Amino acid sequence: MKTYRRPMAGWWKRNPYYLWYMLREASCVFITVYALILLWGLMRLTQGEWRFEDWLESLATPKSIAFHAAALPFVLYHAWTWFKVMPKTLPYSRTPAGVIVASGITASVLCSAALFVAVWWFGLWSLP
Amino acid sequence: MQVIQADVVVVGGGGAGLRAAIAAADVDPKLSIALVSKVVPMRSHTVAAEGGAAGVTRADDSLEHHFHDTVAGGDWLCDQDVVDYFVAHCHEELVQLEHWGCPWSRKSDGNVNVRFFGGMTVQRTWFAADRSGFHILHTLFQTSLRYESIRRFDEYFCAELIVDEGRVRGVLAICIATGEFVFIEAKSVVLATGGAGRVFRQNTNAGTVTGDGMGLAYRAGVPLRDMEFVQWHPTCLPGTGILMTEACRGEGAILVNKDGYRYLQDYGLGPLDPWPRAKAMELGPRDRLSQAFWHEQQKGRTIATAQGPAVHLDLRHLGAKKIRERLPLIAEAAKTFAGVDAVKEPIPVCPAVHYTMGGILTNVRCETPLPGLYAAGECASVGIHGANRLGSNSLVEIVVFGKVAGEQAARFSASGKGPDVTGKARAASERCLAMLNVSAGDRLATIRDAMRDAMESGVGIYRTGETMKTACDALAGLAARWRHGVRLDDRSRAFNTEWLGAIELGFMLDVAQAMAHSALNRRESRGAHMRLDGFGKRDDDGYLKHTLATHAGGHSPKISYQPVTITRSKPEARVYGGAGKQAVLT
Amino acid sequence: MSRTIAIEVLRYGPETDAAPRWQRYDVPFTDEMSVLEGLQYIKDHLDGSLTFRWSCRMAICGSCGALVNGTPKLSCETFLRDYFPGPLRIEALSHFPIVRDLAIDQGDFLKKLEAVKPYLINPDVPAGNTFVQTPEEMDRYYQYSQCINCLLCYAACPQYGLNEKFTGPAALALLHRYNADSRDAGKAQRMEVVNAEDGVWGCTLVGYCSEVCPKGVDPARAVNQNKIESTKDYFLRFLKK
Repeated sequence: MKTYRRPMAGWWKRNPYYLWYMLREASCVFITVYALILLWGLMRLTQGEWRFEDWLESLATPKSIAFHAAALPFVLYHAWTWFKVMPKTLPYSRTPAGVIVASGITASVLCSAALFVAVWWFGLWSLP
Repeated sequence: MQVIQADVVVVGGGGAGLRAAIAAADVDPKLSIALVSKVVPMRSHTVAAEGGAAGVTRADDSLEHHFHDTVAGGDWLCDQDVVDYFVAHCHEELVQLEHWGCPWSRKSDGNVNVRFFGGMTVQRTWFAADRSGFHILHTLFQTSLRYESIRRFDEYFCAELIVDEGRVRGVLAICIATGEFVFIEAKSVVLATGGAGRVFRQNTNAGTVTGDGMGLAYRAGVPLRDMEFVQWHPTCLPGTGILMTEACRGEGAILVNKDGYRYLQDYGLGPLDPWPRAKAMELGPRDRLSQAFWHEQQKGRTIATAQGPAVHLDLRHLGAKKIRERLPLIAEAAKTFAGVDAVKEPIPVCPAVHYTMGGILTNVRCETPLPGLYAAGECASVGIHGANRLGSNSLVEIVVFGKVAGEQAARFSASGKGPDVTGKARAASERCLAMLNVSAGDRLATIRDAMRDAMESGVGIYRTGETMKTACDALAGLAARWRHGVRLDDRSRAFNTEWLGAIELGFMLDVAQAMAHSALNRRESRGAHMRLDGFGKRDDDGYLKHTLATHAGGHSPKISYQPVTITRSKPEARVYGGAGKQAVLT
Repeated sequence: MSRTIAIEVLRYGPETDAAPRWQRYDVPFTDEMSVLEGLQYIKDHLDGSLTFRWSCRMAICGSCGALVNGTPKLSCETFLRDYFPGPLRIEALSHFPIVRDLAIDQGDFLKKLEAVKPYLINPDVPAGNTFVQTPEEMDRYYQYSQCINCLLCYAACPQYGLNEKFTGPAALALLHRYNADSRDAGKAQRMEVVNAEDGVWGCTLVGYCSEVCPKGVDPARAVNQNKIESTKDYFLRFLKK
């Protein structure tokens, strides 16, 4: 039986849903790089105050700021899609998907807020 | 032309066909069973059936009750020995489906729930939400996948039965994807091809329901029985004919005319209260309800919609929760196809052709008069529906008699192989191929639409000798034009659905003629066959008999009669409504 | 006075075409007409060679799936009025080979369906009566039993498009339907399909399958909750020996 197979090349451009999916996948690149930056900072912290200060300064360079400005929306988008997709990964429960998503997002917003406050508080505390 | 050997061929992959194939495989795993279907089995029209399947279940029910409901529902045209066999085997087949995984709806204690259905004295209809046919079909199809001996021929169109020396020898089929012919040689053939509702313009049926098996058997000399009895389902969406299941009424829905009046009380189905109540008002049998609509229309009390006259099916008082749990498919369909929210508004409905009570003549063992040929399901007339079918008797019929047909066909196939009939198969293939090369003739749609209009106006809910004669003449003319040749746009072999449509049209014209002539000759009114020309009453002295329509070449069918088997239920007045106690709906 | 909509259909005939081509038709329509009815109008009155599958017209048989302006839909429950004035582009479901016009080759899906052992496996059947199953137990699998095999989810799934060996959403959802049925005892027999590279692990949770499903089956959930099962099976396999 003769059939015709349509090519898949450029498939992700054919539907907005696929484009958003590819952006979600691309966000992992930014997250990986950001995680490495943080790990690098952790390592510098163990090497003493001066090395840590150097690391902090390198974060303030224009290139670094540009990277972080690009990474922030991707990380937020990643978090959003992570929670949106969470109901699909859970075993049977009668909890509506909307409740699961809302709880996850709320919890992460609260944790982020708490972390921000803590950092600012300790930051105040450690000022000379 | 490819030649394939099998022991048993089952034509049709719906509920009856799948059940027959499984039963044949169970008889003997060494038999090779060919399951031939013009669509992939889960597309078969069984999938659209909604309401449920009946079987005596409750302690306050009995085989005698089911027997009596069925015989009275059929206006005493049922073969009572067959009905006895039928009611005795319903429950076990429903349990078998459950063992195979069918998700029947349950009571809170985990046992199967049963509901009321039209014309039934006691609740005995098993249901799987409001998509019982869908679940039954998928359960049967998925179960059939366990059997290595069932070889499926998906999207193979059976164009002719090959008969030699008074015995069926196999089928000539067309592989739809390529247009190549295949002769499947077999010792026995089971036809399970469904009904023929598409011969009418407004119907609930899928596009595939074109009476192919009826046409195949008819042309091989097997009579079609009781073809004049066509069921109009009273509650369908106007225009499309999409079905709004009887289960709505089984759950308590009501029918009102344009004045908001429950008009069924005027037609011998009242009184109104208490409601709901078995066999009364909206739980009366389908023929009575459809006929009541016709009268309301004559009186100008129906609602005019863009798609034609309608009445209102009101579910609002059932409440959102019950509608969502018990009737989800209805709510979805009403929203999608009629733009109506069933929780807040009534649904416009009108009668549409739904079921063919008549069909291929068989006995209780599903044997046709042609040795080796069996039939089961809607395409057959085994004798249980008579002049009017009760809702939920058909979904259980397909498994009860599907099993019988499969077993009988399997046992018959133990007989020896016949002589080589490949020549006959080749000749049949040439006849089909000739249809591709017609240069002058009508378009397919022209003949088809004219046939459907002729049937709708001539052989409708109410008939007169004049309207039926007009239909018979029109059909004869259309059949002649079909024989002359249908001019096709599509001349290719691969996946040529126009060509197949022309072959289906031939079957439909044969079936339509059998229906129209059978109706013209029945000079009485009984069940779904209602006349307005002086033959408005049931005539047991003259017409307590089955009509047989036999193929007569290019001429009108030959009409003859066959006695009805009456054992213990003598014909009585067919009474519904009346006083009674309020039913407790489960 | 009815309106007219422009419909473009991707045509392909194995006997006449090397590759598919678009063909345009002008179709008069009324507000209630579905895309399927539009196609039927073309076939009846304009071009009898237009080929498409259809049957029930009420979104329960799964025959009439097609790509409507790039989105997988059932043509019987998609309405022309929503695409006026057009052009409305109709194409065969993606990720399947085209046999003719809108008719795809369903063979691969049917093989996948068989491979998941989609039937109740239980040697202990209650004699003469049904299993007991409460509405709560039924709720655990019921939505997954609603699949009409329309293949819209396969047309949506880019992983299936990129790798035909992937078992795919509907087949895995049906597998889960049986595993989650309290009457079934065949989970172990289905694990090989679940655990395979082309089983649940072929899914990257694009999630488009559940978006397009006309019956709310949510195959994405069926597949992805089985990643937990597959992981458990992998780590606990030593205990089974």
